[in-house]
Amino acid sequence: MYSVTRMLDVAEVDRDRLLAAARAGAAATRARHQLVAPTLPGVRNGGDILVHLRFDSEDQWRSVETDFAVTLTDSAITRVNGACYSGDASVRGSHTGTVYRALLLRVLPGTDAHIVARFEDELRLMPGYVNTITAWQLSRVDNPVGTSEWTHVFEQEFTDVDGLMGPYLMHPIHWAVVDRWFDPECPDVIVRDRVCHSFCAMPESVLT
Amino acid sequence: MTGSEVYVIDRVVTRPGCARKFVDCYLAEYAPGARARGMTLRDVLVSPPIWFDDQSNTVTITWSLASAQAWWEMTWKGRPDPTLGPWWDGIGELVEERTRSVAAAAADVDRLCDV
Repeated sequence: MYSVTRMLDVAEVDRDRLLAAARAGAAATRARHQLVAPTLPGVRNGGDILVHLRFDSEDQWRSVETDFAVTLTDSAITRVNGACYSGDASVRGSHTGTVYRALLLRVLPGTDAHIVARFEDELRLMPGYVNTITAWQLSRVDNPVGTSEWTHVFEQEFTDVDGLMGPYLMHPIHWAVVDRWFDPECPDVIVRDRVCHSFCAMPESVLT
Repeated sequence: MTGSEVYVIDRVVTRPGCARKFVDCYLAEYAPGARARGMTLRDVLVSPPIWFDDQSNTVTITWSLASAQAWWEMTWKGRPDPTLGPWWDGIGELVEERTRSVAAAAADVDRLCDV
């Protein structure tokens, strides 16, 4: 699968209009999965509208990329962060998620490959400990967009918002293991740029 | 879950002869901000307990927080502070190597993981 994620900062007064325009633009791409939704309270640097498109192949995206980009040129969109990337999701359990979440991050340039691999391995551990994650995907970014040269996207589907704000945050796998890669006080830190943590309601699964 | 204390442990191997200066700097410059972020200083241990002039010491500093939630609140206060990372960089001349880990009492592990 080939995925495209965009987080749009928009003026509140224009949000509904831009939401409709982004949904129309997404529909025109004929992506296999399309999610365009307002972000929920609690996002950090995650925009006001979250867009996720999932194509069967990169070629399909490339064939509509220019047209979709026009959708995002409205002057009321003040900032766009996002990424394009390949990969397949993993499913956990039999529950269906209701919340889609995407984390954009940038690993410091020059970080040793084996350190990056350890970091990725630890991120992949998280769904095994957080039982409110119903599907997930960790991807390296092909094309970053926005304020940083994003290197990774970590996506999850959660049972609900409480599953994101509760177990995901509160399990020790997060704060006692993985977070050290993001903590400027820890010597292991490799993610120093501000991350984009965004999530929204999801009527049906987009990762699977 | 909310009642399980969380410990932040800095383990610092100081450069030879630098242990006393490191501890003084840590307590004078770092500790006030850490307290303001909600951390409680539990111990500052020096091993071996000799202020060496020409050898390294290992300094182990333990902080506690009331819960995992308190740990996040501390982090959310500290992460945007542009002085914290540079403080650790600046103290590097006194430090040979260091780690920061997060721990809990063995009796609390199951409860902390049951979220």
